[in-house]
Amino acid sequence: MLEADGIGKDYRVDGAVNTAIDSLTFQVAEGELVCIVGPSGCGKTTLLRICAGLLAPTRGVAKVDGREVDGPPADTAVVFQEYGRSLFPWMRVGANVDLPLRRLGLTRAERRERVAEALGLVDLAGRERAWPWQLSGGMQQRVAIARAVAYRPRLLLMDEPFAAVDAQTRAELEDLIRDLWHRLGVTVVFITHDIDESVYLGQRVLVLSSSPTRMQAEIHIGLGEDRDQLATRSSPEFAKLRGAVWKEIQAAKKGGGE
Amino acid sequence: MNLLRRALALTALPAILLGAWWIASDGSTSFYFPPLREILAEFGETWTADRWAADVLPSVARLGAGYGASCLLGVGLGLLIGRTTWLMHLAEPVLEFARAVPPPVLVPVIMLFAGIGDTMKTAVIVSGCVWPILLNTIAGVRSADAVQLDTAAAFGLGRTRTLVSVVVPAASPRIVTGMRQALAVGVILMVISEMFAAQSGLGFAIVQFQRSYAIPAMWSGILLLGCLGVALAALFTLFDRAVLHWYHRMRERSA
Ligand SMILES: Nc1ncnc2c1ncn2[C@@H]1O[C@H](COP(=O)(O)OP(=O)(O)OP(=O)(O)O)[C@@H](O)[C@H]1O
Ligand SMILES: [Mg+2]
Repeated sequence: MLEADGIGKDYRVDGAVNTAIDSLTFQVAEGELVCIVGPSGCGKTTLLRICAGLLAPTRGVAKVDGREVDGPPADTAVVFQEYGRSLFPWMRVGANVDLPLRRLGLTRAERRERVAEALGLVDLAGRERAWPWQLSGGMQQRVAIARAVAYRPRLLLMDEPFAAVDAQTRAELEDLIRDLWHRLGVTVVFITHDIDESVYLGQRVLVLSSSPTRMQAEIHIGLGEDRDQLATRSSPEFAKLRGAVWKEIQAAKKGGGE
Repeated sequence: MNLLRRALALTALPAILLGAWWIASDGSTSFYFPPLREILAEFGETWTADRWAADVLPSVARLGAGYGASCLLGVGLGLLIGRTTWLMHLAEPVLEFARAVPPPVLVPVIMLFAGIGDTMKTAVIVSGCVWPILLNTIAGVRSADAVQLDTAAAFGLGRTRTLVSVVVPAASPRIVTGMRQALAVGVILMVISEMFAAQSGLGFAIVQFQRSYAIPAMWSGILLLGCLGVALAALFTLFDRAVLHWYHRMRERSA
């Protein structure tokens, strides 16, 4: 589904070259839920923007369905970290969710139905007429998720979507993502800097080194399909896995510091 | 109650100033500063229906045409330049220069090319009004949020839809600011353009009164001009409230 083949990115700032990503190679299979963790500033957002076709890599290629990404690929939706800046404050919630649907050639009734359904899935049924800035942070991020869901993407890219919400909301939203992933059969790439979150959510966790970034490790999360905030998080396997991810991140930080 | 208080707050200072003017000028025997009483009396006599048709309406029509053209031109060009990086770099120094030239200076120049008719006066208004709109539109477009643009691109919104649904609304608070500044400039230029070689208009009438020493009538014209400015500003506020409804409510919330 998604393939990164030796992706690298250099930023040029005032003539100096800053190698944000050295080289990354990985695959995400159809229907998988993969988490990507890495220290702050290691290029996670950069990687996501490359995969979403918003930024051209300096080296290597990203492929979606075997086709090289040279612009935003079809059937791909993105949820950004800054929900406050990715929703459009001049549109009501319904219009925000509807906007990407407008080019899909659906009838008005079909679009309205999709919007209502997506808002229902994120527990915001009937809030079409609200303005984004009337909602709490967690609700705004849910609108952004609904917008992605209504689009019915095959690939869903998420960049630290819960970094700015409180712990309680965050747990709810994590379960929401697992639930949506189950129901919709969508491929999810979930970027986070939170180790627990990556282990709780993912089937697989990719650990990135610090800049210039390479793949540090790949950890399979054998926690089974049914996860529960309390039971799963307090299980010995969970503790072992988060320990493993933590160790890799520590190693990544040391490796990058040299 | 609240409405009453607001109405009071709005009218209190003008009422006090008018009152002060009335009292201070009441005993005036100066030829150039007649009592306000006299000016107001003159007002009714001077600004008859005929005068409105002959002077006020043509002025307002030219202002409307010039201002409307400026809005179309300023917003259109602003969107084009703001969205095209190389055009932006090319245009920047020229824009800074054009902005620094005081518009009234252009009146004789424009007279040369556009004659002395309505075209000249409208062109003068455009020559001054277009800059605040153009510059604010460009700034507004440039300030569109990167995450919002990324969102539009990621969902594959085309150029047109991105422009209409994202770039223009994102820039709209700045565009409206530019339009408000341009309105004030427009009224000034309307009057100035009519003071040069003209046969009608508010500015023309005021100059005529002054030249024929009809001083109270001249003052009444100035008063009318002020009222016109206030009325236009009020109309503009209505427009602003309607177009930027979301923006004002959002700001009220975060304040
Ligand atoms: N547009 C840019 N121009 C120049 N340098 C950039 C740009 N964007 C990112 N960088 C640099 O690239 C590196 C990676 O940035 P990026 O935002 O991808 O990291 P991140 O892992 O998402 O960080 P965080 O965890 O804080 O979100 C950083 O050193 C950053 O300074
Ligand atoms: Mg980031």
